[in-house]
Amino acid sequence: MGPYLKTARRYRWLLGAMLALVWGAGLVAAYSEYTTTFESEAIIWVQRAPPQLAGNPEDPNVTVVQTAASQQASLFNQLFLADSFLRDVVARTSLNGTLGNAVQERKALDDIRKRLRVQTLGTNLLSLSFTGRDASIAREMVDAALAVRGQRVAQARVTATSQISGLYQKQLALGQAQALDLQRQVEEFDQNHDGPLSDLEQRRRDQLRLALDYVQIRLGDLRGRIDQAVLAPALVDVSGSEFQILDEAREETVPRGGVKPAALLVTIALAAGAVLAALLVLVGALLADRLAGPATVGRLAPARLFATVPRVGTDGRGKRDLRAELALIAFEDAGAGSRAAGR
Amino acid sequence: MTGAAQLTRVFEGLASRIDASGFRSVGFTSALSGEGTTTTALGTALSLAALRDETVLLVDANWLQPSLTADAGAEKAGGLADHLATRGELAGLLRWASRPRLAFLPVGDRAVARPSLRALSSFLAGKVASHGTVVVDLPPILAGEAFVLPWAGLLDQLFVVLREGATPLPVVRQALARLGPSATPQIVLNRAAVAAADLAPALHPVRV
Repeated sequence: MGPYLKTARRYRWLLGAMLALVWGAGLVAAYSEYTTTFESEAIIWVQRAPPQLAGNPEDPNVTVVQTAASQQASLFNQLFLADSFLRDVVARTSLNGTLGNAVQERKALDDIRKRLRVQTLGTNLLSLSFTGRDASIAREMVDAALAVRGQRVAQARVTATSQISGLYQKQLALGQAQALDLQRQVEEFDQNHDGPLSDLEQRRRDQLRLALDYVQIRLGDLRGRIDQAVLAPALVDVSGSEFQILDEAREETVPRGGVKPAALLVTIALAAGAVLAALLVLVGALLADRLAGPATVGRLAPARLFATVPRVGTDGRGKRDLRAELALIAFEDAGAGSRAAGR
Repeated sequence: MTGAAQLTRVFEGLASRIDASGFRSVGFTSALSGEGTTTTALGTALSLAALRDETVLLVDANWLQPSLTADAGAEKAGGLADHLATRGELAGLLRWASRPRLAFLPVGDRAVARPSLRALSSFLAGKVASHGTVVVDLPPILAGEAFVLPWAGLLDQLFVVLREGATPLPVVRQALARLGPSATPQIVLNRAAVAAADLAPALHPVRV
């Protein structure tokens, strides 16, 4: 520990200047981040529509594991992944038309994606927020995101409703054809059998009537489903119980939402300063522990410097192998130099 | 000035200080390998041979990596180890280098003997003494402490070669501590960026 403390003392001014620079820059950046960050937040109450009002209550894809809030939050997060959604959001704000060319647009959308945040606050409560440099833009972004989400959900609901209705209509048409056919068979049977019926004939007639009754019940059920498929989404929309905005996004007048990024900046600056200082001390201690020159030999007392052998420069052939040449001089046979140089 | 003279001039400062200090036997070691010990020993031996009007014996005592022996192509020849094991007379083991007044003693068969205080003492007091100067190339202290310590108390001066800007000081301190309090090695700073002329204040006064 001693050498490191000694090095730290030796470089205290440099360390102080470096720490002041790094930490100071970090603190300034954090302050700037805090004072120029405005977050707008909307609080939303969500709940699932009753199964009776669901578009298709038998749909196996309808999840029951997630809470209503987390389901809506994950829907938001999925929508944020789509550039088209973000484009629609931006189009509803003052930023409309500022996205620029394709490359700039991609960067801008990625930036917006990072700033939009959905958070579940409870089983039925969630918040949607946008953090930006401009308070009014932040509010506009939240409002726009909610509006576009509503639009998308409504569109999806209409599409799902028309698909389900189409399916039910086809099933209804098929059932109606079946019912007509069975009705015709019953009437033909009645026309062809005036007198008392045998057991076999009675059984056949009962079968036909039973089949006709079943098809008619099925037709009634299908008509009910068609009505439900058309009316349920409309009822959900009208009631507004599925997605209620409790607190609208506001235009903040004081900085908000910049505490975390500012704290992160401060932490990074502190850590970077500490790491740089540690590196400086470490490198300084290592270098100080090398024999830097004649002056440092004094640190080896009682051993003393007797003489120095100067560094031999380079000649035209590159670095000179001094020992090879000395060996050639001393043991002049042709092999001496090459033997030494080979090692 | 010839190329050889230019090269040996690199070690002139060191050789002059050894000469001025009156050291007759010097050894070169280091804390770690790669510090340039062998090069310094070889260069110093060449410079001393040119400087002193007497023979210089260069001894390869690097039991771990006998590079000088390999440079001289004497891997299979007898040498110091054989002499310490009393398997050969010194005169028969010496090789005269191509430079005047420079003799070389290879490491020899390292399996037959290890350097011990007694054997080295009699080695240095024996016929080796007839050579004006003995320059010994030793292995790094931390890797081959057992091969360095016996020499430390017998040589006039043990030099620890350190490479400027590369050798970690804690490692050097550890190596110096291994040598013990009896040996006071001196430092030879290798590959120094500062010109020798600028070092006068840093160099301790030499014994004359």
